[in-house]
Amino acid sequence: MHTPESIQPPRWPITVLRFLLKKEYLEEIEGDLEELFADDIEQMSAFKARMYFIWNALTLVRPSLLRHIGSFHIQHHPAMFRNYFKISFRSLMRQPFQSFINIFGLSAAIGICIFTYAFSRWTYSMDQFHTHKNEVYLTTFYANRDGSDQQFGRSPAPLGAVLRKDFPQIKQTCRVEDRNVIIKYGDLVFNERLRFVDPEFLEMLTFPLKWGQTNALRDMNSIILSEEMAVKYFGSENPVGKTMLIKFDGERSGLFTVGGVAEAFPKARTISFHFLVRFENLQSADPSYDVTDWKTMVQATLVRIEHPEDVSIVQRNMAAYQNAHNAAASRDWAITSFVFEPLATLHQRAHRIRDDISRSTEDNYTTIYYLTAITLLMLALACFNYINIAIVSAAKRLKEIGIRKSIGATRSVISVQFLAENLVITLFAMIGGYILATHIFIPGFEYLWHFSMGFEFLDPKLWIFLAVVLVVTSIASGIYPALYISRFHAAGILKGSVRFGKNNPLTKVLLSIQLVLACMFMTCAVDFTRNTDFLSNRSWGYENREVLYTAVPDRSAFEQLRSKLLQEPNVLSISGSTHHLGKKHVTTLIQRPERAYEVDQLFVDAHYFQTMGIPISRGRYFPDEAQADQRSIVINETMVKHLNLENPIGHKLRIDSTEYSVIGVTQDIHVYDFSSAIRPTLFRVASPDITRFLSVKVRPGTQPEMYRILKNHWSSLFPEIPFDGGYQEDVWGRYYETIGIHGLVWRIFAFFAVAMAGLGLYGLITYNVTGRIKEFSIRKVLGAEAFSISALLSRPYTLLYGAALLVGMPLSYLFATHLLVASYPYHMPVSYTGVFIAALALVLVLALSLLIQIHRILKSNPVEGLRTE
Amino acid sequence: MKKTKLGEFEELVLLTVIALRKDAYGVEIKRELEERLNETLSVGSIQSALKRMEEKGYLTSVFGEPTQKRGGKRKRIYTATPAAHRVLSELKSIRAGLWNSMPRLVHT
Repeated sequence: MHTPESIQPPRWPITVLRFLLKKEYLEEIEGDLEELFADDIEQMSAFKARMYFIWNALTLVRPSLLRHIGSFHIQHHPAMFRNYFKISFRSLMRQPFQSFINIFGLSAAIGICIFTYAFSRWTYSMDQFHTHKNEVYLTTFYANRDGSDQQFGRSPAPLGAVLRKDFPQIKQTCRVEDRNVIIKYGDLVFNERLRFVDPEFLEMLTFPLKWGQTNALRDMNSIILSEEMAVKYFGSENPVGKTMLIKFDGERSGLFTVGGVAEAFPKARTISFHFLVRFENLQSADPSYDVTDWKTMVQATLVRIEHPEDVSIVQRNMAAYQNAHNAAASRDWAITSFVFEPLATLHQRAHRIRDDISRSTEDNYTTIYYLTAITLLMLALACFNYINIAIVSAAKRLKEIGIRKSIGATRSVISVQFLAENLVITLFAMIGGYILATHIFIPGFEYLWHFSMGFEFLDPKLWIFLAVVLVVTSIASGIYPALYISRFHAAGILKGSVRFGKNNPLTKVLLSIQLVLACMFMTCAVDFTRNTDFLSNRSWGYENREVLYTAVPDRSAFEQLRSKLLQEPNVLSISGSTHHLGKKHVTTLIQRPERAYEVDQLFVDAHYFQTMGIPISRGRYFPDEAQADQRSIVINETMVKHLNLENPIGHKLRIDSTEYSVIGVTQDIHVYDFSSAIRPTLFRVASPDITRFLSVKVRPGTQPEMYRILKNHWSSLFPEIPFDGGYQEDVWGRYYETIGIHGLVWRIFAFFAVAMAGLGLYGLITYNVTGRIKEFSIRKVLGAEAFSISALLSRPYTLLYGAALLVGMPLSYLFATHLLVASYPYHMPVSYTGVFIAALALVLVLALSLLIQIHRILKSNPVEGLRTE
Repeated sequence: MKKTKLGEFEELVLLTVIALRKDAYGVEIKRELEERLNETLSVGSIQSALKRMEEKGYLTSVFGEPTQKRGGKRKRIYTATPAAHRVLSELKSIRAGLWNSMPRLVHT
């Protein structure tokens, strides 16, 4: 407990006041504030007292107490501002090229800014629409896996029922379990994912219904559909009351009446469903599933605890259930503790929780960091352009500034004028940026990733964000030019003795930074694009190009299909397995004296290795008469390394309490896509009665034909069961597309970065030439060669470029390499190609800019350049 | 009124300063006035009124003693100048005159 004396007022308001207020007033004012705070703290909560303190401090920001910062408040009247806006609009129109550079750059940057906002908002609003998001918790447990305590999102099946009975604090519980089933309505038959839940599901996760009643789930034979599924089976009509057939497996099926249809789910969700039926149906679907057995797991157990403080009470009293589970389950699954994860933050934690029902969004959070960094860099690039051009173009406005000053404008008045102009430009840029974001960036990104961020124009936070961006950008880009331009004395300007914009070192520094940044973006773009090509040529470790696969419901279906396929001359080999590369596998623990190792495990038959073209490096495959080899396993190289086996063949490994001997070692193959490192993997002999996959190797070049034949056989053999198979190449579906997008996104960023730097450079050279047109004209009249004029114009930029690339190239190399290594466990060998291509592109931009301007000088008539009014 | 350049709020603050004598510093003035007006005042409004009047020459000030409660900072004790007394009595007599002439102005 804090005593009132120990509570301090917040410091930052004082810091702000010290900056803003007159020095001579500070001591008494601070004293007054502290005294008031000391009084308040005795009468109210610390929070309230602090709020009053901040409020009091804010009321002190008044003209009569402020320092004289350019006596701003006296000299600026609304009429003046109207005048500033008029002038800025006119100068904007008068110099269309300069305005274009400024507005284009800022628009692109602000567009990216808005996009980043939209993406972050979408990510952080994940699952936040649930009314009870702060009361609903997912039950998770920790168990020791692979040498460390890991969190799992599953829970023992009986837990939900006992928790509700044992704890008055728990208002509701809901068990969730998913199964793949076949759903049939009329002629429509599809493989579907069915969710078995308790009736409380829709009260805890508040998905509103479009049709039907939330309590429909109280009925054993009711089914609730998502909107998407309702459309798939029933089109736009209301299906409530219609009957659908669910086939749980070959023998078991049931008729269900549609009890409700959910409204379209919000875009920002990680938990949803296709079909809901009552949890108790699980027993009829799978008689071996025992909800009273503590070693049986359900996909999720949700609890609703109304008062957050009760969570810790429940959590402390979970030991009994932990023991009940640990007594029943194998020691592989010994639970070390239970933890309740609130729904409100579940999506942020999901990547650390294994097997949970919430989809992981870790990538999105990392993406937000990258995007924020890129947004800031882009804004910086755009602001640099603005600053550079404002400095060099100040010369054009000399007279205006001189006259304003001589009729009494102070420095602050001129600064404010320029800042106001800047605000106008930024405002235009903001409109441009908004259009870019809403018409190109956001829809483009959504199109690439096939999703929607639910971006809304009427989001009040968006408006606050835009206002902040507007103010910050216009000040960041305008403050230096404003102060720089307003610095000069009227007399000097009017006499003509002041020379603006020439050789301002800041211009050179900013341009160099732009070049370095452009070089970095460019390098990343080249590297990521090349890496995409590299990965699409990378081998998966096995021959996936000649393999077709299909899921099969059971052994007899496999046998029927196999006998049909064996008659095809183009079939080289057929294999039946319980698991399948890229489709399904399980994890298990290898018990070693020092600790347990977690490995991936696939049950396959003797033909699997040849069919899938998995190369063996040591030992042998399973023999044909597989039954005799139940205790044999084949492991991969990574596992040999991971377990530190010196002589793997013949080595005995223990899984559960049985010993298996290693008969072969395969080369490393990718069980996951290239975004995950290869894990230790073992193959065991599949028992024929749980055959779930058929894979077939066909003669090269006959894949499309064989795919058609496979499908035809399927539909003639099993007209009631939808076909669920394809090319082995396609098991990773969108993977190549995904990595392709990485390259594309970098190319877009690089385009803008190079365009901004290029335009900035071009603008600078143009101004330089315009300012020196008299000089060049004289040189031409006196007979200077094209070469000497070119050299004269190019030298400063060439030097600048040299310096920028000298810094930029190593930096870009390190940056791009780091990103590549961090983004992909498997990536192309790092090389200098990207940096050189980037540097070359930038040099080309310089050469082009210089050439255009040199051409302009050479073509120009010196008489024009020398004429003075 | 224009001649005196003293706003209504300033007048109230000035009178409070005179009434509080030795205790006339920011927080105390605020407390006293809040009680009398029966409304909440902001620190900013009191301080800016004090500073304005000091500039106009109606108030002078000296630093008082630092206290623990004030984080070791000194109070600024305000005193009204003769000019302030003069202005206040001017205002008072103008008002008194108006009050006296009220029956003649308001034809009931």
